[in-house]
Amino acid sequence: MTETNLESFNFTEFVKDVLIFIDKQVCNGCGLCAEVCPFGLPQPHDSGKYEISRPELCTECSACKRNCPTQAIILNERKGCGCLWNARGVAKKAKKGILNENSCGCGPVSENTSNNSCCG
Amino acid sequence: MAVVYMRKLEEEPETYDSKFTALTKGVNVEVQNWILNRINNSEFILEIGCGTGVLASKMAQKGNEVIAIDKNFQMINYAMKNYPSDLTGGKLLYQKGSFKDLPTPAGSQDVIVSKFLLSELRPLEQQIFLRNVWRMLKPNGRLIIAAEFVPTGFWKLTFKIKRWWYKKKLKSLRIKSTYLVKWFFKYLEPIGFKINTQIKWKHGSIQAIELQKVTDNRTIEPGYYRPKAKRFKGFRAQLRIYRCIFTGQVDRVPIEPGIYQSGNPNENSPIIVTANYEFTYIKVMRDLKGLDAWVLCVDSNGINVWCAARGNDFGNIQLLEAIEATDIKNITQRKTLLLPQLSAGGVAVPQLPKNSEKFPFRVRYGPVWSKDIRRFLDENPIQKPERMKLAKFTLYHRTRAGLTHISFLFRKLFILPLITLALLFSIFLWFNKLWWIGELSLWIIAANFFVVLLFPISEFTRRFIFKGIFFGIINMILIGGLSYLIHNNLFYVLWQLCFYFWITFFSTMSFSGYSMATSPREIQEEYPIFSLTNKILMILSIISLTLGFLFLT
Repeated sequence: MTETNLESFNFTEFVKDVLIFIDKQVCNGCGLCAEVCPFGLPQPHDSGKYEISRPELCTECSACKRNCPTQAIILNERKGCGCLWNARGVAKKAKKGILNENSCGCGPVSENTSNNSCCG
Repeated sequence: MAVVYMRKLEEEPETYDSKFTALTKGVNVEVQNWILNRINNSEFILEIGCGTGVLASKMAQKGNEVIAIDKNFQMINYAMKNYPSDLTGGKLLYQKGSFKDLPTPAGSQDVIVSKFLLSELRPLEQQIFLRNVWRMLKPNGRLIIAAEFVPTGFWKLTFKIKRWWYKKKLKSLRIKSTYLVKWFFKYLEPIGFKINTQIKWKHGSIQAIELQKVTDNRTIEPGYYRPKAKRFKGFRAQLRIYRCIFTGQVDRVPIEPGIYQSGNPNENSPIIVTANYEFTYIKVMRDLKGLDAWVLCVDSNGINVWCAARGNDFGNIQLLEAIEATDIKNITQRKTLLLPQLSAGGVAVPQLPKNSEKFPFRVRYGPVWSKDIRRFLDENPIQKPERMKLAKFTLYHRTRAGLTHISFLFRKLFILPLITLALLFSIFLWFNKLWWIGELSLWIIAANFFVVLLFPISEFTRRFIFKGIFFGIINMILIGGLSYLIHNNLFYVLWQLCFYFWITFFSTMSFSGYSMATSPREIQEEYPIFSLTNKILMILSIISLTLGFLFLT
């Protein structure tokens, strides 16, 4: 990326489109992301750094991002869990104008949600 | 009793006292008077959770030196406004604070008072509370607590009904409800308290207890509570497993959080951390097969590791709390915690305090499945092999998930309409047609069974709507075939096809939460189309079912 490009480069716009991405500049190749990902998406690259092999398979569980020691992972995380009943709660609440909260209490939630859960 | 509702009242300090008195039907005034009677004068008193400060000022008016803390700043503010003007001899100081970090020096207080705080605390927090209070008390100092407890016998039932009602009310207000004080009495002796007096109101649903600090063997430090060993083998444990599989999704099944032992662990044994869902506990203990290890169950609220990690029930907070409340720091030389790999969605290692007294551990993420723990410990691989780290949705897992899903669907959706239908049939004296209801239930189960069995062949798409349509068509053929074998009536089966399709489409979509590789984004984006399709299919199914039933049976 040249310098002129860098100026017009809009980070927020870029992040909006990308699901998950490892910043090679920051990655130190420790491989912890590969150890925690239950789908084996982070794969070592020739350069000794890691890459997300098939980002479309990511479930946004945030395990890699949370535990990355250098914060090299950018994850466009949607709150909630991949469950119909959770999506229903989110859709219902979006109608009422409440965002980012889960009906079943099993996604990442704000402090005030009820503790009824659908996850055993 | 409805102390659970105090969460709502706390939002408005001005009306808190009067409304809380109304809520407890005056019992809280009696509790307060009882506590005041137990207080002498010229003592050092600490009140934890002082609220509007009514009790604190009355204790100070008796000539005591009172420090009153509350974590709610609004409450402290309100209490300060009503600061008593006639303090002779006594002293009163309000502070924002919590039981986690008490403002007084160790061994300085004669009495520590706390009313209606316990039900705000999780089990391990209650232990931390008792341990911190123990430190602050003088030898033979007293702790006076009032709290909501679960009564015994018949009154337990009325208690549960009332609590359920208020919880529903809180849920609609989106306020987190309080915890049941379940195991509290077990903590007292190990930590270092004995009961002096105990008084009950409302059939034991509200109790005030005076405890005395015991200092026999422990001079500086309070003791630790450790839950009793819990059976994980045998018939009863197996029944508990089934109970978890069939209802664990809706009703939580927590075990006491804390340290458990596998085999005979010593100071060189590893520490395995897991959730306090009973199913998880039994599985882990069975898979360890008697390997000598310490098993630390954090308080994940009775939820399995993966869901708890995603839902803020298994994260740094719960991990640090478990380490503070238990003696895991002292019982072993091994300073490595082996965490389940799937807890990484909640635990953030870089944010844990490093090399501190609070957290003198290193964290390692173990295998996905507990069956690999033994092998993982033996081989201690630097990088886990694929089989230890990939979450695959095998037939075994699908079957278990399928059972849970079917019981969930019946309980949440189908059981009421089916019972209503059965009652209607009975009113119309159609007893010979009751089989039809049984048949519908059977097709619901069969539809789910085929989805579970054939799930991997739908891997050509990640969209659950397409999976639903795919399985819908398959099930029209499979269940339609079965139905034809039973009825030998092609028209009847054709009329029911729409129902087979709808029930499969809906079940597949609902199964999304059980399949491991679903992302919230995809499901949320699919939801509007699903919802519309589902409604249309449901109405069509009901119409065709009714017509089929009326004219062809």
